This record gives sequence, structure tokens and C-alpha cells, in this order.
Amino acid sequence: MVDQYVIAAAVAGSVAGALAAMLAHRWWHGKRAVVQQTTALDSQNRALAQAEERHAAEIRQHEQQARELHALVETLRDDVAEQSVSAEEARAALNALQVQKDEWLQQAKRLSTEAGRLRHLSATFERWHEQMISLMAQNHDMHSKNNELSSIVRHVLIVSLNASIEAARAGAAGRGFSIVASEVRTLAARSQELSKSYHDSLNRNDLITTATFQDIQAGGKMIAASLASVESLAGQIQSRLEQATT
Amino acid sequence: MISQQAKDSIERIFSHSARTRLPIDSGDACDITPLDAQHANEALAAHIVVLTISSISFRFLLVLHFDDDQTTRDYYLRESEDRSLPEALMEVGNLCCGAINQKMVEFFPDLGMSTPYQLSGACVPYLTELKPDYLVAFRISIGANVQLGATLCVCASSPVDFVAQINEAEESTGELELF
Repeated sequence: MVDQYVIAAAVAGSVAGALAAMLAHRWWHGKRAVVQQTTALDSQNRALAQAEERHAAEIRQHEQQARELHALVETLRDDVAEQSVSAEEARAALNALQVQKDEWLQQAKRLSTEAGRLRHLSATFERWHEQMISLMAQNHDMHSKNNELSSIVRHVLIVSLNASIEAARAGAAGRGFSIVASEVRTLAARSQELSKSYHDSLNRNDLITTATFQDIQAGGKMIAASLASVESLAGQIQSRLEQATT
Repeated sequence: MISQQAKDSIERIFSHSARTRLPIDSGDACDITPLDAQHANEALAAHIVVLTISSISFRFLLVLHFDDDQTTRDYYLRESEDRSLPEALMEVGNLCCGAINQKMVEFFPDLGMSTPYQLSGACVPYLTELKPDYLVAFRISIGANVQLGATLCVCASSPVDFVAQINEAEESTGELELF
């Protein structure tokens, strides 16, 4: 019985020991696992802290970059605004220039047209030329008539001289006729002087008329040449403005 | 109103133009002798051909004197029977005045030249009626015995001053062609 008790006690002791050993083993394993887990947790916590620090640094860096980018964006926005204003002003200036160029083109066209129209002044000079020829023909006719008159006067002078001679031959009877012949001779001499004076006047008239007309004619050609030059220049300006427009 | 150097230039231009344009053949001699001032407004022949060059500041009259004699007709008409001596002299005068105009346009860009016109030599004394600032006459002998005359008359409305030089090589072209 005692043996039974002993055995039972032994068994019980063994069981208890085993149980205790098992519990101790489990506790030890449990503690070891806790230590390991604690260590792992610490390690993870440190890694996490480091990661958080890194992330915080990255976040600060990103925030810094974001601020810089924002400042850059603001600067760019200001620049764009300024450029926009400048572009608007340049566009307005370009439009004004375009309007001015169109006006110049119109003026160049008008100048060219006017110069071309004024070249027809040559017709006026031609008309003066014809009138001058007519005037000179009239002078020539007056020269002819004056020469004829001069010839007649010379003839009258000879006749009056002959009459004076015949009157002298007639003696006292021809005295009255001699006075008349003398008067005729005096009149013929005055007519001759007048004819010569008229001849001189016609020569003077010929020279002054010719010189005046030639001055007008040459001046007309000078004006026509100048107008042709102006027309050519106006045409060149018009051509360049048209090329610049297209 | 016309400077002395301008007068000298006008004479040089005229002499060159006359030597190169008045002779029918470029090899013919052309002697130009200036006359005294008192002969400047005298008729040097029975007929004259008048031409005018006009500018803004002056007008220049070239008066070419000629006689309608056999010697002059033989020289200027030669074989051409279809025109008169005055017509031939008007053409020659036109060429001479054209050469003067061509040279003077280098100094006066605005110039115009008239057509020639024939008048009586008796008109020459009335050149003074134009109140010229410069009046000078020349006797011109062409070839063996052709005698012409020339009167230059310049009326200025403002001061005229320029210097024209004639290219000597061009001047002596006629002489070189003799050799």
C-alpha cells in the first residue's frame, strides 16, 4: 500500500515534475519568444523611427522644393504677364505701323499718279511752241511787209528827187512844184527812217520772242524731266511698300 | 553773279563741244578765237541759229552765226540736197548745244534744252535786251575756209559758280585721229 502510495507519489511527483518542467519549458520558450519579439519590435521601432525621420526629411525637402517651385511659378506668371503686356504693345505698334504703311502706300500711289498726270504738261508746252511759231511767222510776215514798204519809200524818195530836178529845170514855173517835191522827199525820208526803226523793232522783237519762248520750252523740258524723276522715285517707293506689305 | 571760274568753265565746255560737234568730220580742224568784248553783241554773219539751255538759276543762249555762202553750203550740205543750209546748221547747232547740256547737267541736275530757231544776224545786238551777266563771242574756223561765229549769252537769276574740267584725252581725240 505504501508502495502504492510511494509509487503514486512518485508518479505524482514525476507528473508534477514533468508538468513543472513542461510549464517551465513553455515559460522559458514563452519568455524567449517575448524577448525575441521585444527585440524585433525594438528593431522595427528603430527602423520605423529612422524611416519616419527619413520621410520627415524628405517631406521637408519636398516642401522646400514645393515652395521654390511655387516661387518659380509666381515669377514665371509675372514674366508671362509682362510678356503679354509687351506683346500687346508690340501688336498695337505693329498695327499702327501697318496703318501708317498703308497710308504711305496710298500717298506714294497718289504721288506717282499726280507726277504721271503732270507729265501731260508737255502738251501745254507744245501748244506754246505752236503759238510761238505762229507769232514768229507773223513777225516774218511783218518783216516782208516792212521790206515792201521800205522799197516803196525808196522809190518815192527817188521819184521826189526826180521831181525836184524836173521842177528846177522848169525854172520859176516849177517853183511851186519844187516845194511839193521837197515836201514829198522829206516825207519819204521820214518814212524811210520810220521803216528802219520798225525793222529794228521787228529784229528786237524776234530775238526777245525767241529767247523767251526757248526759255519757256527748255524750262518745260526741265520740269518734265524733274517730274519724270519724281514719278520714277514714287513708283519705286510704291513698289517697295507693296512688296513689304505682301 | 557769275564767278570767273564759272565763266572759264562755260568757255571750256563750249570749246570742247564746238570742236567735237561743229566739224562734219572729226579730223577737220576747228580753230576757236575769242573776240573782244566790244564785238560780243555784234552780228558776225547774216544768219544765226539760237538755242537755249534753261536751269532754275540761269539760262544759257548759244548763238551760232553763219553766212549762206557757197563755201559753207559745200561743207555742210555736201551730197545732201534735200535740206537747206539753215536746217543743216540748226542740226549741227543742236548737237553742239546738246553736248554743252550733257556736260553742264553734271553740275546742274535740273536742265532743259530748247529746239533750235533761225533768225537774222541783225537780231544779235538785241542780246543786251536780255540783260546778260555774261556775253562773249568767238570766231570759229572749220576745215580750210568755213567761217562761223558763236556768241554765248548767260542770264543768271542767282549766283552761278562751278568748275568744269575737260578730259584732255577726250579733248585731243580729233587730233589723234589725224595720225
